[in-house]
Order: sequence, then structure tokens, then C-alpha cells
Amino acid sequence: MKGIVFREFLDLVEEKFGLEMVDEIITKSDLESGGAYTSIGTYSFSEMLQLLQHLSAKTNISIDNLLLIYGEHLFAVLGNSYPGLLETYADPIEMLASIEDHIHIEVRKIYPDAELPTFIVEERTENSLVMIYKSSRAMHHFGLGLMNKTFEYFNSSATIVLEKIKEDGTEVKFIINKN
Amino acid sequence: MSQEKIDILQRALKREKAARKAAEKILEEKSGELYFSSQKIKELLAEKSSQLQGIFENIVDAYVVMEINGDILKFNDSATKLFGYDIDKESINAMDLIHKEDYEHAFSSFSELQANGFYKDYETRIFTKYGKVKWVHVNGSIVFDKDKKPVAAQGIVRDITEIKNLELQKEKLVLKLEKSNDELHQYAHIVSHDLKSPLRSIDALVNWLKEDNLEKFDEASIQNISLIETTLEKMEQLISDVLNYSSVAADNSNIIDINTNTLVKELLNIIYIPNHIEIKICNTLPTIKGDKTKLQQVFQNLISNAIKFSDKEKGLIEIDFKNIDDFYQFSIKDNGIGVEKRYHERIFKIFHSVNNSKDSSGIGLSIVKKIVDLYGGEIWLTSEPNVGTTFFFTLKKQPNGRS
Repeated sequence: MKGIVFREFLDLVEEKFGLEMVDEIITKSDLESGGAYTSIGTYSFSEMLQLLQHLSAKTNISIDNLLLIYGEHLFAVLGNSYPGLLETYADPIEMLASIEDHIHIEVRKIYPDAELPTFIVEERTENSLVMIYKSSRAMHHFGLGLMNKTFEYFNSSATIVLEKIKEDGTEVKFIINKN
Repeated sequence: MSQEKIDILQRALKREKAARKAAEKILEEKSGELYFSSQKIKELLAEKSSQLQGIFENIVDAYVVMEINGDILKFNDSATKLFGYDIDKESINAMDLIHKEDYEHAFSSFSELQANGFYKDYETRIFTKYGKVKWVHVNGSIVFDKDKKPVAAQGIVRDITEIKNLELQKEKLVLKLEKSNDELHQYAHIVSHDLKSPLRSIDALVNWLKEDNLEKFDEASIQNISLIETTLEKMEQLISDVLNYSSVAADNSNIIDINTNTLVKELLNIIYIPNHIEIKICNTLPTIKGDKTKLQQVFQNLISNAIKFSDKEKGLIEIDFKNIDDFYQFSIKDNGIGVEKRYHERIFKIFHSVNNSKDSSGIGLSIVKKIVDLYGGEIWLTSEPNVGTTFFFTLKKQPNGRS
């Protein structure tokens, strides 16, 4: 997993819960990196999983909700880093529908070894979108956070329902209806 | 500050230091990689530039680079030689080179070149500096800059004047050949007509001679007269056959769908079949594209031959058919006298009859072969003397020039 994901995650934890919390979850986890992350490095996903689990236990917030908040946070970071990408879209549905065919292709240009989830468009109308999320990471709520902020960015909002196709969350249907 | 807080901060600091070191290490590796690949790219560029320079200088064809407005930017040596201009000393535009009568074609081709980015097999006439007209063949393409804006056009120009001249010559020759073929055909008609009429006169005269002298002639003379009559008949047949042979030419005007099954059955009604001979069609024959008269000639000749050379008490002739890839293969099998191996090639040549019988001029099989050749097919036979013969012939499903 790319280092920027860890950096941004720990920055957010520090901002919301303080440096003590960062120290606590790092110390409690068994991390190969020792918790020293640089944005340009690559680290094992199991490190992120441990950090999330300890944060969830400590704060009593579910992992899904932590991922949701994190997704919302990361949207702003990405928006600042890559403003050109957002500007190519006129509409949130259009942007979400092109995750697979455009955004992920752009991501791979910068991070050729990035391990990305797939978002397959099942149905699309002007105001609605049904997509199937597939990833062994089961980080669907992270995606949900990014999507929420996408609609906000375009001064719009949507009702997004998640239906798990597989119990472990590695395959989830996103039903998105613009409000 | 509490000790605990200090510990936390120290740990955070330690992590940040470690992260920075890791980052620096990664960056160092990346710079190394970048340096290495930029060296590689430089080398590759130098290599490619030298290759291009080599092509530009060594290419046998003329190579021309021009601006989009047609102003010539570059000529290689061959181009300088072909067009006669030294572009270092004089500026020229592509339109100065093109033959006025080919302007329209040049404009439309150039628009196509701009639209598609390339143009292949463009042929035009050009003027050299010394006013000579030459035919050239051009493959052109547009040169784009990094923003994909067209900046120039380049083309490989080949002098095809010689080839064009040869083509024109060939066309003339073909026309001439067609004409002389026609003349020859006419000639054959006239000659055969002219030859036949004295034959008929001789026939009539001999007849009168016989009738007038029936009582005066002895038996030997009467027999000789009837031999004269037979010979006259054969002579007439020979002339007709020669005419037939010379009329077999590729003529595509009568190509239609022909049901060979019906064609053969109709033929069997016309041909005289002695009672002791049985003819079997073993397979339903196909419907093919062809000229009815020619196909009739093929079957008639082969079937008649099979009948003619039947010597058994019960004659059997079998007509069969097979579908083989691009060909129809027909066969006509008899249980007649057979053909010796040494004659297998010769019998298809004109005037080669193995049997010197009264009704065999030696032309039939050569007509068959000529027709089969026209259909892109082959003809051959297998035979055992005194047991029988099988003639095979193939016809191409898509005859030449008839797709």
C-alpha cells in the first residue's frame, strides 16, 4: 500500500485524537516499518489493518466508519495534489463512472505498482449509477467517503446504498442516486 | 512536560527521522534510475538519428520533405537527381513539379494525406527541371510535432516511368493480339467454308459418277468409290473439328449457372448409344458456373469416346463427380479397349488419334483439354489396355476473372 495513504491516515488520527493516539496505535501494532512512513514508500496492507483495528478498539468507532471519515479526508488531499484530474469532469456521476477507465489509469501512470480495487459499472443513467466494487482489502467504506466528497465537490449530494455481495466485504454493490 | 509526553514525542521524532532516511534512500535510488534511463535514451537517440541519416542518404528512392504549403525543405541525393533541382540554391514548391493535368488528383490526394496522416500508392506525372515528364509513385505521410500538429509532409518518391511505359506497351500489345485473334478466327471460318464447298462438289460428282456407271463398274471400282465417299466425309469432319478447335477461346459473355446433371442427361438423349452399352450417372452432378456449349463439348467428346472405344459384350460407362476444395472433379469411366501408357500425354495434342478410325479426327480430346484449361482445371486419365479407361477432369469453382 502506498505510503501516502499511511501518512495521511496518521496525520488525520493526530488531528482528531492527538499525537498520543498515534503513538498508542503504532506501539500496539507489530509493524515491519516501525511506523516510519514516507509518502513515496510502499508498505504492507496488514500494517494499515492493524492500525485501523487498534484505533477502532480504542475509540469505539467501527472500522467502516473510520474508513469513511478517512476517505472523506483523503479526497481533499487528492483534490489539492491533482486539481487537473477533477477539472476534467463536469458531473459527479460521470466522474465516478470513469474510475476504472480513466482515474485508475492516471493513478497507474504515477504509481505503476499500485494495487487498486475495481469498480465495474452495471447501470448508468443521468442521475444514478450502480457499480460493483471488488477488492481483497474490503475497503468499501473508504470508497464511500471518497464518493460523498465527490458529490460535495460538484455542489451536489447523493444517496448511496451499499449491498454486500460477499459477506467479507470484498465484493460490494454501490447503488448511487443523485438527490 | 511529563515524562510520558516526552517519550511520545521522542518516539514520534525517531519515526520521522527513520521515515526521512527511507525517503532519501528511495529518492537516491530513483535519481540513479533516472540518470541511467536518460543516458540510455540519449544513446538510443544518437543511434536512431544516425540510422535515419543513413536511410536518408542511402535510400535508392527519392526522399522529399516539404512544408504543409508544399515548399520543399529537403531532397536526398536521389531526389535531387530525379527532379534536377538543387534546393540549396533554388526554392521550389511541390506544385511546380506536378504535371498540370494531374493537379486535380494532386489536390484531392493531398487533402486525403492531411486527413489520414498518410497516403499510399499515389501515382502522378511530374516535370523535372529540364522539362522532362516522368511518372512517379509516392508513399507520403504527415510529420507531426509533439502537440500532434502537422508541421511537414514527407514522401518516398519512386521513378516508375519505365514501368508505366511498359504497361502502356503491354496494353497496346494486348489490343493488337485481340485483333489478330479475331482475324485468325474469321480466317478459319472462311478457310473451312472455302475448303468444304469443293469437297461437296467432289462428293456430288463422285455420286453422279457412281449412279451413271453402276452397271459398267466392277465390284472393286464400286468399293473404291465408296472409300472415296468415306474419306470425303472424314475430311469434312476434320475441317469442322479444326474450326471448332480454333473457336474455343476465353469468352466470358455466356457464363451462367449450369446444372451439369441435366446437361449430361440431355446429351445422353442426343448421342447414339448402342444397345449393349449401359451408361450410369453415379452421383448427382453439381450446378456450376460456365458456358453451356463448352461444357457440352467436354462431356460429349468424352462420352462419345467411351462409346466409340467400347469392345466388350456388355459395355459400361460410369459418370461420377467429387467435390475437391476449389475444384469440381468429374470422371468418365469405361470398360473399353484402354489406352497404352505411352499415349497418355499425346492423346491431348491436336491431330493425335491413337486409332485411325473413320470417325476420329484426333481433335476431340484437344478441344476438351483446351476448354478444361480455360476453366483453370486439369485433365488426365488412368487406363489399362483391354480393361478400360477413366478420364478425370477438374473445373475451378471460381474460374479466373469470374469471381
